[in-house]
Amino acid sequence: MSASPFRVERWTTASRASVVAVALLIAALALGPGYFSDNAIDKLTTLFVYVILATMWNALAGYAGLVSIGQQAFFGLGAYFAVRLADGGMPVYGALASAAALTGLVSWPLSYFMLRLRDGEFAIGMWVVAELFHLLVNLDPLIQGETGTSLVALNRYGAFARHAYTYWMALAGMSFLLLLLFALLRSRTGAGIQAIRDNEEAAASVGVEVARTKRLIFVLAALGAGLAGSLWLANAITFQPKTYFSPQWTAYMIFMALVGGLGTFEGALIGAVIFFAIEALFGAAGVWYLIGLGATALGFALFLPRGLWGWVEARYGLSLLPVGYRLRFKTHSSSPAQTPRLAAQPRRK
Amino acid sequence: MTDGLNSVSLAALGPSVSRRGLMLSAGAAGLAWASGAGRAFAAAENVLRVGFISPRTGPLGGFGQTDGYVLELARAALKNGLKVGDKTYDVQILDQDTQSDPSRAGQLAKSLINGDGVDLMLAVSTPETINPVADACEAAGVPCLSTVMPWEAWYFGRGAKPGAPSPFKWTYHFGFGGGEFFKTYVSQWNLIPTNKKVGVLYPNDADGNAIRANLAPALGKAGFTIVDPGPYEDGTTDYSAQIALFKKERCEIFNTFPIPPDFAAFWRQAAQQGYTKMVKICQTAKTGLFPSDIEALGQLGYNISSAAYWHKAFPYKSSLTGVSGAELADGYEKASGKQWTQQLGATLSLLDAGASALQASSNPKDKAAVAKALSTLKTTTIAGPVDFTSGPVPNVSPGPIIGTQWIRAPAGSKFRLDYVVTENATDPNVPVGAKLIPFNG
Repeated sequence: MSASPFRVERWTTASRASVVAVALLIAALALGPGYFSDNAIDKLTTLFVYVILATMWNALAGYAGLVSIGQQAFFGLGAYFAVRLADGGMPVYGALASAAALTGLVSWPLSYFMLRLRDGEFAIGMWVVAELFHLLVNLDPLIQGETGTSLVALNRYGAFARHAYTYWMALAGMSFLLLLLFALLRSRTGAGIQAIRDNEEAAASVGVEVARTKRLIFVLAALGAGLAGSLWLANAITFQPKTYFSPQWTAYMIFMALVGGLGTFEGALIGAVIFFAIEALFGAAGVWYLIGLGATALGFALFLPRGLWGWVEARYGLSLLPVGYRLRFKTHSSSPAQTPRLAAQPRRK
Repeated sequence: MTDGLNSVSLAALGPSVSRRGLMLSAGAAGLAWASGAGRAFAAAENVLRVGFISPRTGPLGGFGQTDGYVLELARAALKNGLKVGDKTYDVQILDQDTQSDPSRAGQLAKSLINGDGVDLMLAVSTPETINPVADACEAAGVPCLSTVMPWEAWYFGRGAKPGAPSPFKWTYHFGFGGGEFFKTYVSQWNLIPTNKKVGVLYPNDADGNAIRANLAPALGKAGFTIVDPGPYEDGTTDYSAQIALFKKERCEIFNTFPIPPDFAAFWRQAAQQGYTKMVKICQTAKTGLFPSDIEALGQLGYNISSAAYWHKAFPYKSSLTGVSGAELADGYEKASGKQWTQQLGATLSLLDAGASALQASSNPKDKAAVAKALSTLKTTTIAGPVDFTSGPVPNVSPGPIIGTQWIRAPAGSKFRLDYVVTENATDPNVPVGAKLIPFNG
């Protein structure tokens, strides 16, 4: 047996260090309420929700190839279930977590219908589902149509405790979902997911269970969006259906995933931070802010179609949170840009 | 795991020094910003900070159009501070635009509370603005006062239950509600002889359904026959079926609660199909508040009836600035070149009542004391009395909604339309300025 000229690489020094750094960062953030101001806690909670939204849409579109423009269906449903459960007498933070789980549960039977649709049909179909959920929620007498209601149960907690609990819940939820996705993408199923991303037919031909794998991602993305919705409600308290079932949430998700790097694990995180920063800096500019967001997304789609991280990855061969494998030549140390990669290159159309 | 700190740690691992430097500084800037260092709670002991949140741009921008002028008046009146007891405080009004977005309204409220440490929050116009702000204040324990939306949607729309004690300790609202609409409509529709048949066009949305469930039956009991073709969806473009029914039933009174573009579509079709000739009273709500709504209808806009939460004929003076209704309206027209609107007085009344609450509190820097002062506030603003001691529910002080009509302006007027008071059932102190003219008269 002749020795292969390649060696398989997953972990590098850089990626090991970055995973440790991320773990330390989360641990440091967990102590946040002790030393951050209320304002910082509030903003960070918002950022965590954005990270969840970006990661979950990225998982759906970037990995499973399911481009949905109706994820607000689950965002709104998560918030609605939280209002319903809390009104029914469930302790409010329990209600927030259960609402996310319930949203995931609802998406399971839904997936049997929706995943029959392909590409554009699926995208539009999801929007229809969102509108349908919106109308159904409006029928609930507790919600009073578009008037909505508020999560008054939260007012039992003092301002400081409420801030801290919501922050911790958002941090825990985000970390849990990131870890779950990371573990999933590194598992056998993950190899299947990335194969589907690269070419669905080819993946099916080598034995990947396409339908089951897509369903798994669909439900995970719904659960994530539901959690984001219930966390947003915990932060905003007001539930007006029009706000929660608004397509703007999906637009934000698309923006973050597109700018950060569709189909890369790091990209969604970077996209969320960029969106958060842009909103904080330019949000007051009104219409021009929205025009700027649109122009940015357009610019990225035209000139950096793989997003910021996609570009960094291609240019420097950097992978900080590795979910794929690479092959490297054993003999001479090649420049990273020439390193071939396995199952990690998003398909190009 | 993804705030400024992360980009620092990621960048530190990168191969390029210049990129590392760039991202380090970006991360550091982000972190400094996130911790809100600097401006938070820097306010001195004798400075009062008042948050003011309204929709200035976007679909609800018509409400906020006059706010700039009103805020200018208020700031001028507060130039030498506000005297509370025997101490004088500097007052800073921090005004913010929601861009008509409820999520943004809530976030603005939170950053005014946590970042600027406001002592009192004021919010004005529509549930999309007020409810998220009030909820943020209730949760954070900051006193909040608001006006210009039906109080039922403010109180019951935020989770209060009929008959149960009020769940709100920090938030207060004054202004009209469903009961005032009922009184005003009965009074207005009895001003001229009609067959008392009311064609109603109520959409399938929150306002439409609430009006259908509560106001319509009450009007029925008051002697009017309600002809309801059933709910329609916002954005409908063909109203032939409804118009045919109103014509068949000969509805001489017409009443609607639509979004403004739908009313324009309906009213043009009604004219083409010959219904408007039959109408003696065309009573609109939600649309027809501002001159621009009516001007958009061209010839069909004359003689439409509406209802006003403030009018320049109101006989009250602003407690904060001392201006009268006429002075406020004329001042605005002079400064902006635009016609006065009912929002002028409403916004100023909020600033009036807010300042009164600060003055009535034992210590305006103590949020609990200000909230307590609000709960027992009894004052008169440019839009009339505000009294939180005798409302239908705690936290609410109902206010008037006066029957009005848009008529052709007299020759020589700067503007095309004149807005006149035709009845005053909900506040008899407001002088009636004109007789109601039949729409087809």
